[in-house]
Amino acid sequence: MIDLRTLSRRGFLNMGALGAASMMLPAGVTRPALAAAPLAPVKEEEAVVAFSHVGPISDEGWTWAHHQGVLAVQEAYPKLKKVLEVENVPYSADATRTFRQFVSEGASVVFDTSSKGDFLYEVVKRSPEVAFLECDGHTVEGNLGWYYIAHWYPTYVLGVAAGHLSKSGRLGYVASFPVPSVFCSTNAFLMGARSVNPKATLQTIVINSWFDPQAAAQAGTALIDNGCDFLFGIMDEAAYLQVAEKRGVWAAMWNTDIRRYGPSAYVSSIIIDFRKFYVDQVGKRLAGTWAPGEFILPLGGGVDRDAWGEKVPKEVAAAADAVRDKILGGWSPFAGEIKDASGAVRLAAGQTMSEKDLYDWDWSIEGISGLNA
Amino acid sequence: MDLLTGLLTTAVLAGGVLALAALGEVLAERVGVVNLGVEGLMALGAITGIATVAAVPSPWLGFLAALGVGALFGMVFAAATVLIKANQVLCGLALTLIGNGLSATIGRAYSGMPARATFEGVAIPLLSEIPVIGRAIFSQNLLVYLIYVILPVAVSIVMFRTRHGLNLRAVGENPAAADAAGIPVTLMRFAYVTAGSALAAGAGAYLTLAFVPGWSEGVVAGRGWIAVALVIFAGYRPLAAVLSGLLFGFITALGFVGQARGWPVAPAFLSMLPYLGTMGFIIVPVIAWQRMRRIMAAPAALGLPYYRDVR
Repeated sequence: MIDLRTLSRRGFLNMGALGAASMMLPAGVTRPALAAAPLAPVKEEEAVVAFSHVGPISDEGWTWAHHQGVLAVQEAYPKLKKVLEVENVPYSADATRTFRQFVSEGASVVFDTSSKGDFLYEVVKRSPEVAFLECDGHTVEGNLGWYYIAHWYPTYVLGVAAGHLSKSGRLGYVASFPVPSVFCSTNAFLMGARSVNPKATLQTIVINSWFDPQAAAQAGTALIDNGCDFLFGIMDEAAYLQVAEKRGVWAAMWNTDIRRYGPSAYVSSIIIDFRKFYVDQVGKRLAGTWAPGEFILPLGGGVDRDAWGEKVPKEVAAAADAVRDKILGGWSPFAGEIKDASGAVRLAAGQTMSEKDLYDWDWSIEGISGLNA
Repeated sequence: MDLLTGLLTTAVLAGGVLALAALGEVLAERVGVVNLGVEGLMALGAITGIATVAAVPSPWLGFLAALGVGALFGMVFAAATVLIKANQVLCGLALTLIGNGLSATIGRAYSGMPARATFEGVAIPLLSEIPVIGRAIFSQNLLVYLIYVILPVAVSIVMFRTRHGLNLRAVGENPAAADAAGIPVTLMRFAYVTAGSALAAGAGAYLTLAFVPGWSEGVVAGRGWIAVALVIFAGYRPLAAVLSGLLFGFITALGFVGQARGWPVAPAFLSMLPYLGTMGFIIVPVIAWQRMRRIMAAPAALGLPYYRDVR
């Protein structure tokens, strides 16, 4: 009943709650949608905007990037009555308590920057006058929408660079959990690399954490010892970049520009930027035009590759950027035929994966080992 | 060959964090004080190391500063548990909370800054050319030798081969008898709890100066608790504590190598290995040989405050 791989990026720990909830509902019955009455406009001087973060804003990763969005909201709407921000909110009933606190302090918009699932929905149901936005969510209701980033496109672009830069054709990946964003990230990365070097393979090591510098460093070392000469992964810290720098191999990162940890190893990074989205959403809520929906921020509009590292050859950067331009022009690299790790054809030639398919990707393509074990 | 070298290299490097922290905990527990503040002390040591090298780029100075900060907080803990005789478990947990919170607050200014100076590996002439173990053991940073050889051997000799060591152990086993024999129980406990805390903070500095060069909140990630557990598994003996740290590092590295090589074992199981392995290596001998049970026993007065007037 519970398939690990369909769980969302950060909602992994909600597994138990989701499972229990889905077992209670008879088959085919989903939560009834609320009558969607638009939320009334709010005066800027009276509005409260609230953010709940999974980590510390000093993490220089995921939470830091969302915090930049919070700062942008404060700058765009300086007269807001209050902007609330809570860090290190755990995946537990404490999250529910935090959201309730937001509502009781009069919040008009609540952003959950890491999917808290049922811990959030409980409050959503009871507070129809508040707009909720869940990052990496899966549910849309009268007052709840979700948003994420199309990280697969810049990841493909980094993959192209990796295909050029890796001499051995063996790429290493420091993975957190086998969840869709990691499947999608590994797949897109290897597909990019294979567009250059069809023999490229990708080896993953799962460390069971989004943040564990010691484990990430050890995983990176083990991958390099095993012949990988390009490291990638979705981590909220820079440990494997430091390992790559020391061992003289390439590395690409996530979230922010952290090249100072390994200036010669640094290739690029998946840069996430929620500033415009947050300002837009708050603006709409104030104006009374906010409507719930699914928002996947596109390449160049919330997610992109970082400026290339200093040691990346110009022609490699140019080749990868050419692919980026093609994607910006509307081309999708995620077209059939795509085979899974067992060799079976999962996407027939001529078909293209939709954004939603990519967002929910839960299987590994051919050439990836370690995730589907 | 390469596989084994890589394994040993990371094992030695990673195990050092646990080994040093566990050694510190052995000192405290041998005189009868459970210090559950190791996790917090490591965090404090980690940020002290980074903050110090940010000001003066010398890793040794960073390490020494961490020892100093650890000793300072160790004295506060010792004052509470040894002098005032407050509950050791609660004080230890409080120390962990204080250490984690304080280091996170101070660390704000330092997160995202790579360490300005780190301990670098030094290849020892001749020895570093031995196949397999040459690179793994004789090309490490100098702190590694301090952690694995100099400190544990010194502690071991003092603890088991000198009169002072006998006194030390007596304080942990039977403080009343020790007191009657003229051993200064309070002073002994205070001194060794402080020294143990200093080593725990030193382990934190080793982490940020030699292993993952940089500070980020939560960098210790529970290793302090593992160090406390290793002490129990190691039967409160300094050499065994250090070895079990190394063993833990080795099995952790093995789990990663297993994944990298595509061994057909679930990653979840491989990451469980260090805990299973360490327990196995230490529990099995105890079950197999009766005599081990006595040797592995905890100091009799562990966790008990000593009141002279109620003996």
